[in-house]
Amino acid sequence: MQRSKFVLSALGAFAVAGLLAGCAPGASSSSSGPREEASKDLGAEEITLSLVSTPESGESTKATIAAFEEQFPNVTVDYTQTNYEDYNKSVNLALSSDESPDIVLLNSVANTVKNDLVLDLDPYAELYDWADVYPSNQLDQWRVAEDGTTLGPGGSLYAAPAGFSIVGLYYNKAIAAKLGITEAPTSLDAFEADLAKAQAAGVLPLQLGNSQGHSSFVVQLMGQAADGAAEAAKWVFGAAGSDFATDGNTVAATKLADWAAKGYIPADANGVDLQGAVDNFVQGEGLFFVDGNWDASKIGDGLGADAGFAPFPGENVTAIGTSVAYAISSKSEHPNAAAAFLDFLNSPEASEQQFAQGFMPVDPSAATPEPGTVKEAIVNAWSQVVESNGLVGFNNNATATMNDTLTAASQELLAAKISPEDFISQVQADWAQTHGQG
Amino acid sequence: MVRADLRNRSASANAGASINGAPAPASAGAVEADRVAPSAVGTSKVDTSKPERHRPALRRSHRRQARTALLYILPAFVFYGLFVAAPWLHSIWISFYDWDGIGPSTWVGLENYVAVLTEPLLQRALLNGLGFIVFYTVLPVGLGLVIAAVIAARQRRGAGILRTILFLPQILPLVAVGVIWRYLYGTDGPINQVLTGAGLGDLTRAWLGDFEWAYFAVGFVGTWVTTGLCTMLLLAGMQKIDPSLYEAARIDRAGAVRQFFHVTLPGLRPEIVIAVTVTIISALASFDVVYVTTGGGPGRTTTVPGVLIYQLVFTSNRVGVACALATVLSALILAIVAVVGRLGKERS
Repeated sequence: MQRSKFVLSALGAFAVAGLLAGCAPGASSSSSGPREEASKDLGAEEITLSLVSTPESGESTKATIAAFEEQFPNVTVDYTQTNYEDYNKSVNLALSSDESPDIVLLNSVANTVKNDLVLDLDPYAELYDWADVYPSNQLDQWRVAEDGTTLGPGGSLYAAPAGFSIVGLYYNKAIAAKLGITEAPTSLDAFEADLAKAQAAGVLPLQLGNSQGHSSFVVQLMGQAADGAAEAAKWVFGAAGSDFATDGNTVAATKLADWAAKGYIPADANGVDLQGAVDNFVQGEGLFFVDGNWDASKIGDGLGADAGFAPFPGENVTAIGTSVAYAISSKSEHPNAAAAFLDFLNSPEASEQQFAQGFMPVDPSAATPEPGTVKEAIVNAWSQVVESNGLVGFNNNATATMNDTLTAASQELLAAKISPEDFISQVQADWAQTHGQG
Repeated sequence: MVRADLRNRSASANAGASINGAPAPASAGAVEADRVAPSAVGTSKVDTSKPERHRPALRRSHRRQARTALLYILPAFVFYGLFVAAPWLHSIWISFYDWDGIGPSTWVGLENYVAVLTEPLLQRALLNGLGFIVFYTVLPVGLGLVIAAVIAARQRRGAGILRTILFLPQILPLVAVGVIWRYLYGTDGPINQVLTGAGLGDLTRAWLGDFEWAYFAVGFVGTWVTTGLCTMLLLAGMQKIDPSLYEAARIDRAGAVRQFFHVTLPGLRPEIVIAVTVTIISALASFDVVYVTTGGGPGRTTTVPGVLIYQLVFTSNRVGVACALATVLSALILAIVAVVGRLGKERS
């Protein structure tokens, strides 16, 4: 009797404590006092900035710090990194904590901007003339409208780029030569003809690993090459009224399913991840392979002079790409110093480090690849894409859940569990949940 | 947070099981699991129920004893409250809100629960979890019975080593188990190599990327993990069965098989109930192995509630719905465990 009373009252106490502590979870975030006026003057006082990043994106940033500290002797930058998966899961919590870092790597806008966790950088963009430094489509991916979810031109800037990625078409020149293919295809028809040639010769036409959904790169590239980058970017940005069911995407999904049925891609693609596919491609399995510049070193080392790279073939020269980008925490006590660091990321010193780590540098003149290497081919593809204003962000970032949706739906598409139409409507349904019905 | 919560609960269930599963005095039936835990208080309670009207002094001393007993369990209780009960209640509370994990939240009443019960994906995950009971419970208990019977019947020198090997999966972290099996199931992994070597190359496939096979492949890992635990529990149970029962059965000319069904099986009922309870919990709360091997794919074929809760919190930022799903999952587990416990009691 006594015992059960005690237990009951204790449970009750916990319940009350839980309710009080949790009264409307996530108490409204209070803005942290008046902000210092945007200025290039960092004073003489000792300032320590903390910066968090990931190993994949941060190596070049880390290597830039020394040059920055030399130019601004009273500023010290503390660099820490966490692996990609954990980073994305913890960055918002870090930003909302009392010990928020000053500068954070922003992998996607997600709900970070919506919750006012990072600063609007427009004053600094004006101060440092970023509009002249970066082509407009390089900043548009980090512009966010007032609703917190729609990206693109017109919104306020929330992050500054520090090197770019580009996804395109790798090919094995040795295999191509055997098949009588002398240069990378530039139209979808020519590409399909090459695929057919490879299969007829008993060579795997298109290497692919889809256990993490990377066939969505193929669909996106094929779709935007037909529809054009501007149209495709609108959908990625979440612009009202956009629809995934474009002519280009419909053809792309249909072709991919068709290629899977014909055996143009590995039968076990759904059970192989991206790195597995890279390994297979490097070992000579596959004429073509769609992947990003982040694997350039591995592919270049493996295939040597046989490694080729080109923008994905189609009517428009486009590529998927985004930038390593840094934002300033709303809780930072030294936003001016942080902004000076962001601006330093487009300096020649920083660009050199970015290219050394495999990224396309903010300052194109820093891209000085050795002739004849796959890196040179990537730099050429990059300049073509920049010239045609053809860079589009990842479809996978269109909503918070899009990566999961694309992964599951593309696996079903490859296994012929759903039709290309179902694939497109599943993707659009996810989009509409965040951005509203068109 | 939700994940930790789930784990804590299954961990405490495991702890409870091992207390009772140990080769204990014959009378310590597993069915009495719920009564064993608070025994420190229980004893004093039994004592105070004696006629005591005329013995106020004694009564006072017993009350003091009870208070001392409470003092002993207080530290454990505080920790349990802080790290299990409070987060659990908190997650139930969050389940009534629409919350992205960071910003302000809005009260939505039962809307999250409606979503859990109507969204096809969430239903699918629950069904997948229930299906895992076959791999985590039915097969391991069945296999465990056979293996334990064989070991118990022929106590040879190797039995100790065999037991150790069987129990090994149980002490490996599940993430490590997942990594090992991902390698084994790989396209160029040992399983496919063995098949090719045996001339069965047609059967090779990317086991974890195959819509027909991935669910069975992942489920089988569960069988591999829990069979050892079930075998140990059942073996311990067999050793406490009175040998004279077997003698009597032999005199009645019962063969080994009949002895198994008429003596061993009834005698093991408490242990079976414990094994079933513990493994059903690990089936429904499974996360690590699935997350590491398939991440819920291909398509949604291996998506279980644990994986979905994780995705809802960390990628979809739908913390309220995640908590609602976690609450539904807890309720489901409690209900099933209650039914299993009741069945065990009624028959014994």
